[in-house]
Amino acid sequence: MTDMSAGRERHVQASGAVPLISMRNIHKKFGSLHALRGASIDVHAGEVVALVGDNGAGKSTMVKVMAGVHMATSGDYEFEGKPVRITSPTDANALGIQTVYQDLALCSNLDAVQNLFLGRELTGSSLFGRRIQRAECEVKAREVLKRMRLGNLSLTRPVGAMSGGQRQNIAIARSILWTPKVVILDEPTAALSHSAAEQVGDLIRTLADQGLGIVVVSHDIHNFVVNATDRIEVMRLGANAASFRTGDVTGEQVVNAMVGGNEGVNLAG
Amino acid sequence: MAEAITSAPPLVRRRSIGDLLARDLRALPIVIGLIALWIFFAVQSDVFLTARNLSNLLVQSTVVGIMALGIMFVLLVKEIDLSVAAINGVTSVFMAKLIVEAGVTPWVAVPIAIALGAFIGSLSARWVTYVGVPSFVVTLGLGLALNGLQLILLPATARYSLNGTGLEQIALINIDGIWAWVVLAIGILSFAGLVFSEAASRTRAGLETPMMRAVVLPIAAATLFGAIVVAILSAHKGIPLIVLIFGILLGLGGYILKQTQFGLYLYAVGNNDEAARRSGIKVHRIKMAAFAIAGGVAALAGVIAASRTLGVGVFSGGGVGGGTLLLESIAAAVIGGVSLFGGRGSIHASLLGALVIGTVSNGLNLMGVENEIRLIVTGLLLVLAVSIDKLIEKATGQQSF
Repeated sequence: MTDMSAGRERHVQASGAVPLISMRNIHKKFGSLHALRGASIDVHAGEVVALVGDNGAGKSTMVKVMAGVHMATSGDYEFEGKPVRITSPTDANALGIQTVYQDLALCSNLDAVQNLFLGRELTGSSLFGRRIQRAECEVKAREVLKRMRLGNLSLTRPVGAMSGGQRQNIAIARSILWTPKVVILDEPTAALSHSAAEQVGDLIRTLADQGLGIVVVSHDIHNFVVNATDRIEVMRLGANAASFRTGDVTGEQVVNAMVGGNEGVNLAG
Repeated sequence: MAEAITSAPPLVRRRSIGDLLARDLRALPIVIGLIALWIFFAVQSDVFLTARNLSNLLVQSTVVGIMALGIMFVLLVKEIDLSVAAINGVTSVFMAKLIVEAGVTPWVAVPIAIALGAFIGSLSARWVTYVGVPSFVVTLGLGLALNGLQLILLPATARYSLNGTGLEQIALINIDGIWAWVVLAIGILSFAGLVFSEAASRTRAGLETPMMRAVVLPIAAATLFGAIVVAILSAHKGIPLIVLIFGILLGLGGYILKQTQFGLYLYAVGNNDEAARRSGIKVHRIKMAAFAIAGGVAALAGVIAASRTLGVGVFSGGGVGGGTLLLESIAAAVIGGVSLFGGRGSIHASLLGALVIGTVSNGLNLMGVENEIRLIVTGLLLVLAVSIDKLIEKATGQQSF
């Protein structure tokens, strides 16, 4: 198995630049379970990296270490070239790493603006508690949604009345609101129709074009991963199994690498 | 998903205390139901629509309405407090003991009772959030324990009379004549101030504000509604102080729910507490505040009940087990549109629900129907109200939020 990400990475925006995130030789043990066995990943500004693998391959553990949910047992974590120690999601947020979880964590009875700002409302003081400055929140929400080309999303409908794709977009918009540098998306298309998944793909591209590094964990190899990403990191048994430039491979080849099938398809060879 | 994207111009969301019934489709069935009940009883009894009777109806609905308003905060965060009636009873008996036996002035005893109620509520919240026992169980047990405490606090005569202590004045004072209209004017001015400040902040931020829909209509409707109520009340004895207290609580509660961060967090926690927690909201604190509000408000309702009945006794707080007071308080909130599953309900629910229950009781009474029938009708109305809500949900495909 050859790792091609080191020498042969030909990604245009990324070439030569210091990666936003560089994780090297990460190990993670949960008791006797050795979930990560020396996995590595780079995330550059302006690129969309897919992290794929079979169930139990370690991709979820890898992004959780990246997002500060878990701490690595050993290994190096550098952010913008400097070694960092991330012990909680708050640390990761402070560096500019935001995560959109699969369950989206939205409140279906609240509208888009309320969800975008939940826990971080712009408020002023009043006689009976902190009063929400709705107008200011709305202006900022509009600005962010416009930047994401989601200008026509209703700001006042309860999120529960929206489609799965729109909810996904709001969850992504919430992570963008505080201008992060890296956004991690956990299975963003799992519950979506084909067309909705395409729209999420477009949105992710828009964000990458604005200079963000995007990490996507996905099982949707054939439609989403091979069409909407720049680079595919395949994990198997807690380590890197292969690395592809998206344009160079078919879904079949990626799946083969995931399950450890025909090694010959690894184009790095 | 294209069909789900609205291309309509962004609507202005009016988030103000007097959320007009006409705008809130969810409240419409209950308003229609209330009007139907009124027409029915007006046909059955000549007395029903007199100013005197409507005045009484409002006064009779106040204690349940205030209780419903308090318990609504707990229902919003997806919990329940079955001890509110017991809190109502035990705090009012404790207050009476302070006044009668220790000679404490009502000016001090009443705030002590309210603070005690809030403290008891916050205790059950602690138990619920830290130990993890469901609120249903904690407050059921606590309610029984408080019932016992209430009996212990009572003297051998099983009753404290509060006549002549000054406390009975709460139920006796009416604001009449020009002062009734002054009170209304103050209320409308506060409401208008809120609406205008919101419109102004939108304009400042460069957002469009539909003057008619967001400013003129709400203020006009609030003025009309308030004027009708005050005119009816003035035709009898004026605005009863306890009705004014209920009105102030409604305004304050509406402001907190619709305008403040705390209010928003109540809805967020009730809908998805995990999402709220991940957003950095201190879920246990929000729940504790909700229970404390329910407890404090229940104690206030107890004070008002004590004032109306000129004393406290075994019957205070609905008697042992909470009796009809507990059931009617929860029923009023639910009839008014508060979800038992958290995250949904507006402040007018407590008013509408209490009015429905009060109307049934008052109307059947005028018709000379027995109390048994009243319980049956109230019970069926509760099921009917929630059923209609469910049917609307199915018909429109709109989930209840």
